[in-house]
Amino acid sequence: MTLRIEDLPKEELFGQGNGGCKACGAAIAGRQAMKVLGERTIITIPASCMATLGGNNQKTAWKIPFYHTLFEMAPAVSSGIRAALEIQGVNDVNVVSWGGDAGSADIGFQALTGAAERNEHMIHVCYDNEMYMNTGGQQSSQTPLYALTSNDHIGKPVKKKNMLAIMEAHGLDYVASASIAYPFDLMEKFQNALANPGFSYIHILAPCYRGWQIPGEKTIEFARLAVESGLWELFEVKKGVRTRTHEPSLIPVADYLLPQGRFKNISKKAVEEIQTSITKYYGRGDK
Amino acid sequence: MAKNLPIVPTAKPGSMAETPAGSTWREKRPVLMNCTCLEVTLYCPDGALSIVEGKVSLDLNLCKGCGICANECKDGGIQMVPEYTGAQGVFPVKGEE
Ligand SMILES: Cc1ncc(C[n+]2csc(CCOP(=O)(O)OP(=O)(O)O)c2C)c(N)n1
Ligand code: SF4
Ligand code: SF4
Ligand SMILES: [Mg+2]
Repeated sequence: MTLRIEDLPKEELFGQGNGGCKACGAAIAGRQAMKVLGERTIITIPASCMATLGGNNQKTAWKIPFYHTLFEMAPAVSSGIRAALEIQGVNDVNVVSWGGDAGSADIGFQALTGAAERNEHMIHVCYDNEMYMNTGGQQSSQTPLYALTSNDHIGKPVKKKNMLAIMEAHGLDYVASASIAYPFDLMEKFQNALANPGFSYIHILAPCYRGWQIPGEKTIEFARLAVESGLWELFEVKKGVRTRTHEPSLIPVADYLLPQGRFKNISKKAVEEIQTSITKYYGRGDK
Repeated sequence: MAKNLPIVPTAKPGSMAETPAGSTWREKRPVLMNCTCLEVTLYCPDGALSIVEGKVSLDLNLCKGCGICANECKDGGIQMVPEYTGAQGVFPVKGEE
């Protein structure tokens, strides 16, 4: 099951010539996922950067069928695609809906929870850049506590909504978090999702350097720091059994938070509080 | 049945790669010195890096010059160099053929 780079298909089913910014974490997530999903895949994407950067009616960066849906409904459209495939007796196609944090956790949530409840045979991916980037970086339910967004000059006063826990609560057979800095972990989770004949949910932390106010070349580096600081836990829940898939080294959370422009208002006390809760969560502290 | 899935009915599959606009934004470009970590190909957002005969290979037409590959290459085998430097011309790069 363990993937090796030599085994990956050479073909680029998505990404080449895409219209996104340089250093786009969402595009990286798409490329890594497509290495496993393969050419027999139909993807729906609601309004978002990922939809826009994939092209339009004249030109496309995709080599698989890609449908740019309205914001509220990618998982509903994918449910319909699965039904249409089933009625035609086509069983070898992977059906995926792929939304941003707003397209999954906020505006797109009702279609997502419906498809999950019905246990549709599909994968929903939330690529999470923790804000509404395509419209200029507004706050979402996935924006972390204290982060600045374009519509807020103080910093988010409430916590990031725990989407993985919400999706787990649907009783799904496969739920996983992933990060673009750990491509093999990510790709193995896509393999596991493909093996599940029902609904699977994968939530990928995919930094956006513009929104996070970090240098573009550090997109992967910050994705890695999020994991190694313990703030973004890599795990999967397979048929109710939860496994941590990467044991973080627990570098100080300050090393992840403070270099990012979006956390420039964070207080020393707030950083200490976050550190205390992380240390406690991983059970490596005194308490 | 449904052997060939329709991509976008009016667009040729992968057609954005034929006229990639992003390479014209490039301020710096990567130079592969002796990069041996094949994983960097998975970090490129634009599919500009591939593995050819066991080695990392670069297609500059697709590269936006983001610098991720140079930042991630473990052995420092990729170096970013300025694309143009005004009146001085392009800086010579050590080790580049
Ligand atoms: C119903 C509806 N409301 C608002 C918009 C405008 N809109 C387009 S993309 C977007 C933000 C998308 O955010 P997210 O899903 O996080 O994806 P990102 O752009 O961050 O990748 C918004 C608000 C829309 N297209 N449709
Ligand atoms: S704004 Fe961010 S998420 Fe959107 S295309 Fe640019 S880098 Fe990607
Ligand atoms: S600079 Fe960026 S776009 Fe160019 S090859 Fe490296 S990772 Fe890819
Ligand atoms: Mg977003």
